[in-house]
Amino acid sequence: MAQQQEAARQGSRFFTEDWLAVVVGLTLVALVLTGILKSIP
Amino acid sequence: MSDQVLSSDRAVSASRQEASAPWIWWSASFLLVVNLTVATWWLSKAVPSWDARLRVVEFPVYAVLLGLLASGVLSLLGIRARVAAYFRTEFFLKTGLVLLGATINLAEIVAFGAKGLLQAVILITSVFFFTWFVARWLGVEEKLRALLSASVAICGVSAAITAAGAVLAKKEQLAYVTGLVILFALPLMFFQPAVAVWLNLSPEVAGAWIGGNIDTTAAVVGAGSIHSQQALKVATITKISQNALIGVVAFLLALYWVVVVERKPGRRPSAWEIWERFPKFVLGFIVASIVVTLAISYGWAGKGGLRDLRHLREWFFIAAFLSIGYGLSFHGLRDAGWRPIGVYALATAFNTVVALAVASVIFR
Repeated sequence: MAQQQEAARQGSRFFTEDWLAVVVGLTLVALVLTGILKSIP
Repeated sequence: MSDQVLSSDRAVSASRQEASAPWIWWSASFLLVVNLTVATWWLSKAVPSWDARLRVVEFPVYAVLLGLLASGVLSLLGIRARVAAYFRTEFFLKTGLVLLGATINLAEIVAFGAKGLLQAVILITSVFFFTWFVARWLGVEEKLRALLSASVAICGVSAAITAAGAVLAKKEQLAYVTGLVILFALPLMFFQPAVAVWLNLSPEVAGAWIGGNIDTTAAVVGAGSIHSQQALKVATITKISQNALIGVVAFLLALYWVVVVERKPGRRPSAWEIWERFPKFVLGFIVASIVVTLAISYGWAGKGGLRDLRHLREWFFIAAFLSIGYGLSFHGLRDAGWRPIGVYALATAFNTVVALAVASVIFR
């Protein structure tokens, strides 16, 4: 039971980081394409 | 008794200070990552300006070395673990991969034409599976096998990073393969244009051979420039077309890993399990590619915007490799042994011969 809970916790942490990267990445793409973020060295 | 009480008070006081001021260590970690990232970026621009031959030494080398240095110094000061908070390899890698998708214009695959696409598909398929089976024969571990196959078959560092994300490879494996990519690209940058001249290849065939074989973009540009302007043009387009197929390979690799490699014996994974395990950054990669392709076709994105996306991608990858260097375990590298070097050498030789044959037939 403890093992299942630990696996679920790790799975959800992985799931969250994956989606966070997607959200941050796509947000940055949107900011650049709309010209809000520009002239990045 | 009083000494015990005093030392006990000091211990409580120290632990309260730590518990109440973690934000100091988080801030220090954040500043450290930012400064090291800027330092790496600076080195990657400055060093090639001192000696043009060093342009093939790309940012992962400086990033891993600086990360290692920081780890060593902070270990000596006894604060390495406290300042580790913002060295987030996976987050930086995956965000960088979504941004990599944003630098791929899917229309370029079409623009390159059937010839280029045919060469790319033949080379990627044949070299990927050759490397895979040679690595298996030499007993290389599965995830490392995937990294080696992807990086030789497609395009070096970016392919290695993408494959690492798809199969959840270890940091040490990614660092090892990235090192091999850069190590093998350097001699090829000089060898290939020289052989192309000796064989009296046309600039188109020479360019297609260079772009289809050499694994880093910097070395492809270097080799193409050494040969001729026309070869450089063809080599660059060939490389870009191959790069564009990274998303396809990543998707298939991730699917294979989830459905076949990680399958529990006697059990077929359900659609939900496949979805849960499937690396979401691949979807972000594909969405970013589609968005940017549309933006370019409809004129929403200018050259400045695309350049900014490439630069953003590079910042995130620098931070990722810094984090890899910071947490690098030489144990992991020793475990991998010499076999990956042998695999990479054999695969590169195979790639060189097959790319020449394919380019000679398709681009004559």
